[in-house]
Parts: sequence; C-alpha cells; structure tokens
Amino acid sequence: MASGLKSIGLRASSIVVLLLLWWAASALMNDPQVLPGPLAIGRTIIADLKTPGPEGESAVFDIAITLARIFLAFFAAMIAGIGIGLAMGLNRIVERSLLPVIPLMLTMPSILMVFLAVMWFGFSEAGGLVAVMAVVTPYVAVNMFEGTKAMDKSLIDMAVTFKAGRHLLVRKIYLPQLMPYIFSAFRYAFGMTWKIVALAETFGLKFGIGYMFFFWFQQFDMTQVLAWIIMFVVLMLVLEHGVFARLESRAFAWRNSYAN
Amino acid sequence: MTPVIPGEPMRQGVMASSAISIDKLTKKFPAPGSGDEFVVLHGISLTVDEGKFASIVGPSGCGKSTLLNIIAGIESYDSGSVTIHPKAGRAGAEPRIGYVFQSPRLLNWLTVENNIHFVLEAQNVPRQRWRELVAKNLEMVGLAGQERNYPLRLSGGMQQRVAIARALAIEPDILLMDEPFSHLDAITARKMRFDLMEILQRARPTILFVTHDLAEAVFLSDNIYMMNTRPARIFKQVGIDIPRPRKPEDSAILDLEKTLVREFFSVVEVKG
Repeated sequence: MASGLKSIGLRASSIVVLLLLWWAASALMNDPQVLPGPLAIGRTIIADLKTPGPEGESAVFDIAITLARIFLAFFAAMIAGIGIGLAMGLNRIVERSLLPVIPLMLTMPSILMVFLAVMWFGFSEAGGLVAVMAVVTPYVAVNMFEGTKAMDKSLIDMAVTFKAGRHLLVRKIYLPQLMPYIFSAFRYAFGMTWKIVALAETFGLKFGIGYMFFFWFQQFDMTQVLAWIIMFVVLMLVLEHGVFARLESRAFAWRNSYAN
Repeated sequence: MTPVIPGEPMRQGVMASSAISIDKLTKKFPAPGSGDEFVVLHGISLTVDEGKFASIVGPSGCGKSTLLNIIAGIESYDSGSVTIHPKAGRAGAEPRIGYVFQSPRLLNWLTVENNIHFVLEAQNVPRQRWRELVAKNLEMVGLAGQERNYPLRLSGGMQQRVAIARALAIEPDILLMDEPFSHLDAITARKMRFDLMEILQRARPTILFVTHDLAEAVFLSDNIYMMNTRPARIFKQVGIDIPRPRKPEDSAILDLEKTLVREFFSVVEVKG
C-alpha cells in the first residue's frame, strides 16, 4: 500500500516537473507560434471541448468517433487473432498451414499496411479497419499460439484423470493459463490500434482526432496541434492504465501470493 | 445417477472383496528408432482388497507410473485385464478414482476450495454436497479454514495435503498415489506419512501407492508388491500384518524393512 502511494507520488511529481519545464521554455521563448505554454493549451482544449470547431462539431464528437473506430477495430482484431491462434494451437493442420504466413505479416511495416489499405479501400472506414486487422491480428494470433504451446500438460492430465469434460477443461484450465498471453496481446494490440487509427484519420478519414490534428497542421496553428495531441495522449493513457491495468491486476490476483 | 452414501468408514469383514484386480496386464511401447517393441509392463497381476493399502515398490523406470495411469484409464494397454469394483452400495456405477500425483498439480488461479470444486464438478457430484465435502476433507488433512486461500500461499506440504483432500473429496472407490511424498523434504514427508495413516483410520479408502522407498511402503502398507525392470514384472508379494497405529522405529517394521531391502537388492539390479 505504502509503496503504491509512493509510486503514484513519484509519477505525479515527474509530470509536474515536465509541465514546469514546458512552462519555463515557453516563457523564455515567448513565441506562441512555436511553443505555446501549458496554460494556453489547457484553455484551448477546454474551448475545443465546449464549442463547435471548424467542422461544426465540438472535440467531444471527434473523440467519440475516434474511440468508436479504435474499439471496433480492436475487438475485431482481437477476436480474429484469438480465434486463429487457438485454432493453430489445437489443430496441427491449421498450425502447419498458417505458421509460415505469420512472419510475413509481422515483418510488414505498419505504415505500409495503412497505405496499402487506403489504396485498396479508399478513404473509407473499411480501409482503417483492414489496416488495423492486417497489422494486429497476426500478432495476437502468434501470442495465443505460443500460449497454447506453453500450457502445463500435467494439469490437463490431472483434469482428465478426474474425468473433467471438455467444457470444464477449457473454462478452468485452458483459459486461465492463456490469460497472461491474452492480456499481453491486449496491451500491444490496443497500442497498435490507436496508432494506426490516428494515422488513417490523418491521411484521409473524415472526423476524428487524427483528422482534426491534420486540419490544424495545415493551418499551421501550433496551439491547436498541441492541444489535439495532448487530448489524444491523455485519452489513451487513461484507457491503458485506468482500464486495462485494473482489469489485469484483478485477473492475476492469485499471483500476488507468497509461501509462508 | 447413483446416490452417494456419505463416508461411513468401511469395516473390513471376514470376506474381503477386491476393489482392484489386475490380471496378466501387458503394455508395450514402440522402441524409438527401430521396429522393435519395448515391454513396459510384463504380465502384471495383483489384487487390492477393499479398504486395504497396497504398495508397489520398484526402481525408477520400472513402469509403476504407467501402471497407475492404466488403472486411472488415461493410458491404454495391450493385453490382460484391469477391473475396478465400486464400493458396496455403488455396484454397477462408474468407478470413482482419486489420484494424488508426485507434485500437487493444483490450479494456482483457483482458491483451495475451488480446486476441490473442480473435481466435484468433473465427477458430477451434486452441488448441495460441495460445501460439506470440502469442509470434511480439508479438516481431515489438517487444513480447515484454508478454503479461501490460494495454493501459492501454501507450503509444498500443505499443497500436497490439498491434493489429498481433493482426491478424497470425490469419495473415491480407489485412491491412486504416485510417490506423493517424494518431492517433500524428509521431515515434512515423515509428518505427512503419519498424517496419512491417521486419515486412513477415518476415511478407509482402498489405496494403491507407488514408491521407490521400501521403508515408506513397509510403514504404510498391508501389502507390498515388488517390481523389477527389464522385464518389468512383479517378483514378490509381501503381506504385512503389523498392527496399526505403527511407528517407523518399531522393531517389527525395521526388521521387515531390513529383510525386504536385502531381498529387493538381490533381485533388482540398479544401474547408476
């Protein structure tokens, strides 16, 4: 408990130091076109959230659009990846036919996938979705596949000895052992997804945080550009640390144990 | 489903009925690299009477664990027969087999109580009996109050106690134990043997116990089957009627142990 508070304190103070440095630099430079101060950015963010922007919608709308795109693509990629990975782990034929393809997909730089998807599907929602799935699904699948290979065979034998049915086996033995792999895939998949969605929005999707960022970039409005970047980063940090980290620590409560 | 009769200790009558009978059991594995077959078990015959404790003692690699796995129904065999008779009152029912492995093989992500629930669910034991079976068997192995604890918080000996409680909770017709104390330190193992004796006074399951430790077998068993490798067969059966409760230092136990050790090593050639 004490160490938890201490780490929160440390993190908070490092953010405060960063803000102070930023503030000092902007004060020294005294040129809001190049580096606006944190206060100006804060005011802009609040104004963007409250009042309609250049497209007639407030920032809340763009954030909602971006979140919807991220979650749709994320869940689609996760489900496909978990399904493919499990199938590879439990079935030799699937394993042998997919294993050579996966490194190919993993080697492809994700920015190239975004270009390809845009060329094939145009500036559409489908383009973004395909780009995310092409990058994230193979990674999730590989993770799940490795998870199935690392399962403790002796526990499966134990369950079979006590005549556990397939359903019970999956629920109480397979899934709990795969949880660490699912979570690590979750983390990575989420990080990849929002980066690709932001990229796709910047390149050509209508609305969304990336779209607004690019809009203000073209206007060369540094205050707005920074405001949108910060909104995006804060949003993703909250999701990663507030939601996923909490889910994860709950799922692995049994590990925080010690022999006495 | 047959109703389960709550664990009334079995009284051994004059007419002991067999719980496990194995007749001329043979198991072969294809030898790696050649077309030959490697005989793992060679015409094994043994019987364990209901409520009795039988041990199989043999050098490592003699196929003891394979034998237990065949009895448990998770490995096949080539010829002979294996019959398990359900306890009185459960005639005709699918035999219930409890298994205690060398390592505890607990599900570390489940509480102690849920580890036991796992096998109760696997064996279709009605849910309304779970609480009683968990409490009774944890109490019996000396772990009352540990229901909500996680296995990784327990010592190795306590984890193995949970494994024993888990195997007993299904009220097994037979209990198979595969060197259950070999992973524990000598002091804990000694304590566990005493406690197992005490548990047996109360639960009276039929036990087939595999070990390479003759002293352990003499202390615990009513019957010892000695096994050899190549060919893997039983070369001697010894009945032990030293009254219980026993002490490992009793002269009767020590004398018998000495005799059996001599006999064992006159037959079994141990390769380093």
